[in-house]
Amino acid sequence: MEFVKDAPIVRYRKVSKSFGDRPILKEINLDIAPGEKIAVIGPSGSGKTTLARLLMTLEEPTSGTIEVDGNQLWHKTVQGKLVRADEKHLHSIRGKIGMVFQHFNLFPHMSILRNVTEAPIHVLGLDKEEAVERAVSMLKKVGLADKLDQYPAQLSGGQKQRVAIARALVMRPKVMLFDEVTSALDPELVGEVLTVIREIAEEGEMAMLLITHEMEFARDVADRIIFTDGGRIVEQGTPEQIFYRPQSPRLITFLSRFRAG
Amino acid sequence: MWSWSFTWSILPQILEAMKTTILATIVGFAFALVGGLVLALGRRAKNRAISLGTAGIVEFVRSTPLLVQLYFLFYGFPAIGISLSPFSAGVLGLGIHYSAYLSEVYRSGIDAVPRGQWEASKALNFSKGTMWRRIILPQAIRPVIPVLGNYLIVMFKETPVLSAITLVEMLLTAKMIGAESFRYLEAFTLVGILFLILSYGSSLLIRRLELKWSRS
Repeated sequence: MEFVKDAPIVRYRKVSKSFGDRPILKEINLDIAPGEKIAVIGPSGSGKTTLARLLMTLEEPTSGTIEVDGNQLWHKTVQGKLVRADEKHLHSIRGKIGMVFQHFNLFPHMSILRNVTEAPIHVLGLDKEEAVERAVSMLKKVGLADKLDQYPAQLSGGQKQRVAIARALVMRPKVMLFDEVTSALDPELVGEVLTVIREIAEEGEMAMLLITHEMEFARDVADRIIFTDGGRIVEQGTPEQIFYRPQSPRLITFLSRFRAG
Repeated sequence: MWSWSFTWSILPQILEAMKTTILATIVGFAFALVGGLVLALGRRAKNRAISLGTAGIVEFVRSTPLLVQLYFLFYGFPAIGISLSPFSAGVLGLGIHYSAYLSEVYRSGIDAVPRGQWEASKALNFSKGTMWRRIILPQAIRPVIPVLGNYLIVMFKETPVLSAITLVEMLLTAKMIGAESFRYLEAFTLVGILFLILSYGSSLLIRRLELKWSRS
């Protein structure tokens, strides 16, 4: 593949997902290279969020396989056959993936600092001092080092989302999923969140899958843009190709609607 | 007619019995708090045998009278070789009975925790146990504390039923005083007043705790 230089960190192979008899994703093939920044665009209901949720193990694929860093995510090989993996197996792979949600999903009963230290202490097993050190430096990075003792309810939407980003980053995932992270924000708060994501993207090491409606942001940050519609990847390419030389009629229609609206 | 001197003379005996009533309530409720949580979690188990079994237990316990359960524990169990003291049988009966009710309270609390909290826990790769202990239960229990407190008071007021299995709590003490002296009025009035004071006092205390927690 043209975009993939190293062995991919994530491989979707013929991944399909249906809810009941409603197909959401149809035989998706997708490789993500280490450190690659991919923006996923497409009309709502096109399956782009599901693409991320399958990788985060929030939904189970109906068929197909996903590999993370060379290991099957949803399956295990038993006597040469792929079988559905148990929670223990999922737990061992899931740590390589991180996710930021549209609705932040901060823990409302914990201070900002504890929101960020909780997983390092109880999942990675860091001692408290080290976890706090890591968390504070991450909160500094997102510009919220002065809010350590406050609670989520005291923050604005943009600040909450920045905490959520710090909380995911502190686990040092190899792939980070951003699921429409600015869609629930007031327009004036979108900028501060996108700025933080841009800065993280520039650091480079972590692969990112950005599901977004912010076209300008997608163009600036992504190495590759994927356009999904009707459960398939209809077109993909560099931001240049997608935005200035779109090929498929559906992408052309989608982009024109965006420019008009 | 009402005799104050008789009232004062029986007060120590009734207060002594009150200790038994309170102790049975506390131990029974502690049992129910833990048992209710176990039942609530059992009902959510992925294993269908466990979840259906738990649902069956809850339905069974809720659909049979406490008095029947107490008789069964106290008079029925010796037939299979388990003899319980009135206090043990009483506390066990109250505990099991109220476990079933409290499991429903816990369940409503757990159901009210937004889906995003479960998803965030998963995304951070929490183990099941850590997720329940640190993320889900703290958020599930806090809003149902008033309801749990209410059940504590209901259970307290139901302790006289333990007199049926010969536990010498307040009501049985009053009955015995009456039977000895043929004076029932003072004894039962005292029991009623003590129940009123304790129930009303605890409900005030619970309301204060509720206010304190809702502020923080």
